Amino acid sequence: MELSKAGFKGKFRISASKNVRYLFLIGLIIVVSTFFTFINPKFLSLVNIGILLRSISVLFLLSMGMTFVIITGGVDLSVGSNVAFAGAVGVLTLQATGNPVIAAIVTIAAGAAIGFINGYFVGKLDLSPFMITLATMALARGLSLVLYKADAISVTNEAFLWLGKTSVGPFPIVIVFDILVFLFIKSLLNRHTFGRDVFAVGSNLKAAHLLGRNVNMVLIKVYVLTGVMAGISSIITIGRVSSGQPWAGLNLEFDAITAVVMGGTSMAGGEGSLVGTIIGVIFYGIIINGLILTGANPYFQSVAKGLILLIVVVLDQVQKNRSAE
Amino acid sequence: MGKVSRWLRDNNIIVIVVVTTIIFYLINPRFLSGENVVAISRQIVPIGLIVLGQFFVLVSGNIDLSMGMSSVFFAILLGVFFGMLGGVVIGIIAVFVVSLMLGAINGYFIGKVKVPAFIVTLATMFIVTGLSGLIIPPRQMIFLRGGFFKFIGSAKLFGMYYSTLILLVLFVIAWFLYNKTKFGGYVIAIGDNEENAKLVGINVTKMKMIIFMISAFCSGLAGIILSSRMGFVQPGLDGASIMMDAITAIIIGGTLLQGGKGTVGGVFWGLLFIGIINNSLNLLNVQDVWHQVFKGIVIIAALVLNWAIRKQSGIEAH
Repeated sequence: MELSKAGFKGKFRISASKNVRYLFLIGLIIVVSTFFTFINPKFLSLVNIGILLRSISVLFLLSMGMTFVIITGGVDLSVGSNVAFAGAVGVLTLQATGNPVIAAIVTIAAGAAIGFINGYFVGKLDLSPFMITLATMALARGLSLVLYKADAISVTNEAFLWLGKTSVGPFPIVIVFDILVFLFIKSLLNRHTFGRDVFAVGSNLKAAHLLGRNVNMVLIKVYVLTGVMAGISSIITIGRVSSGQPWAGLNLEFDAITAVVMGGTSMAGGEGSLVGTIIGVIFYGIIINGLILTGANPYFQSVAKGLILLIVVVLDQVQKNRSAE
Repeated sequence: MGKVSRWLRDNNIIVIVVVTTIIFYLINPRFLSGENVVAISRQIVPIGLIVLGQFFVLVSGNIDLSMGMSSVFFAILLGVFFGMLGGVVIGIIAVFVVSLMLGAINGYFIGKVKVPAFIVTLATMFIVTGLSGLIIPPRQMIFLRGGFFKFIGSAKLFGMYYSTLILLVLFVIAWFLYNKTKFGGYVIAIGDNEENAKLVGINVTKMKMIIFMISAFCSGLAGIILSSRMGFVQPGLDGASIMMDAITAIIIGGTLLQGGKGTVGGVFWGLLFIGIINNSLNLLNVQDVWHQVFKGIVIIAALVLNWAIRKQSGIEAH
């Protein structure tokens, strides 16, 4: 009885601090947006909002998958390279068959395959997620270079390009697709036993074993999910530029980790939320988009990313340290 | 546990290095020619410097993702000072000062504010990557010419490059620091169990500051070597793969990513392994596009072999 009371209180406190974090991030988004609008009024135009949404659509999906991985206490460095690899497999399939549906399915399957390798080694062999995904990061990028022969391949099949290319007015339809994916994944994480298992694995691997959870299977599913997200992302990326690029997705893994961490998911595992990740992704997109509009040196984007990440996590940690004392 | 299996568990990296050496020698005998061995010993220097700094960081249970890109940043910083003021000494002093400052910043946020090292150094990685492009005039290279760069980049003593000798001396210093001083014991204690380390009176915050200052300083040294070797600097230099190689070398060399365990000797063999693999790509005429595939497979194979040997000797991979 006592225990369950304490548990309830603990849970309540966590959700309260989560809300504070969201409010803080949303406040920052408003401040930054106001600043950019002041410098360049185009920032708030419908056209620019459309551009912004399109620019974050891929990061959005990858960050969804990354949130799961980080909640299990892992990290997936291979997602960026996987976007290029899955795309290469898909584009070649499209060339060979001319069938966009088969090509799309194969693209997603290729992404899932890299995810499976990651999940298998992390789950079954207990290898460190950092090391194994570092290896598959090189592997997937290398295979992409080999398959593309290090050169872009242009894609003309309108059906295959549809998801990444189509807009209704200024708004890209891919954002509707993203929202559907989010709703699906959120129900996975919050309602199904799978979601509970993901948190259990992240909180404590051994305890999850004791509870009879099949930790290996959970980890394999989680990494396959990020692989699937990378596969879908590559279809969107190809649609946006009407070609498959061997260097697509470069460094996106770090951007995804940044968005997830800014959204309040803990690198220690066992704690995190998809809504937080969305706010993180939007904030991230606004910073990059706004800096492009102000015409700042592109290298400044990188400095801004780092500073913002540092500011958000440091302020958050200072607050945590205070409440811990 | 038998003597042999215990030796294998602790030294499987030596077996891996010997086996790969024999394979590459059989494929191409030129692999073990004096010329090629000296070439390998030169190629591994920048990675080796990152390895030394990162080793202490990893044993303490942390990670420094900023090391690769910051070595590029320091190479450019040296170039900018050299280009602006024409002085090597002032440039090197600047690299030392700024690297120690960067390390102190990393260490402060990690040790004092207690933000995870992965996140802090990811942020500083972004920052130094951007600064590399901001401090150099757009679309420009700076050429580094003069005695100093020639000396560091290509002078030899008894057939070995000075830069290699410097690395070897630093390895000996690291070995001494790690095995024979209180500092080394503290690093292991923190990586093993931070709470316990605090309880026995170790100033964890201060230690973390020092550890990250060492790693940043090593990035600075790597930057100096990199710039001297190439004779020019530009922001597009590939710092990321240097860091990936370094971390791979350390992990394959038997250091645990979770911290608390690792040996300088093992890491040295791990560095040799990475040097051999990088060198063999050229020696075996592996086409450029296949490089990363090859490397990815080799890393996975080494990790699995590493795992299998440890499993065989009855020790969990943890």
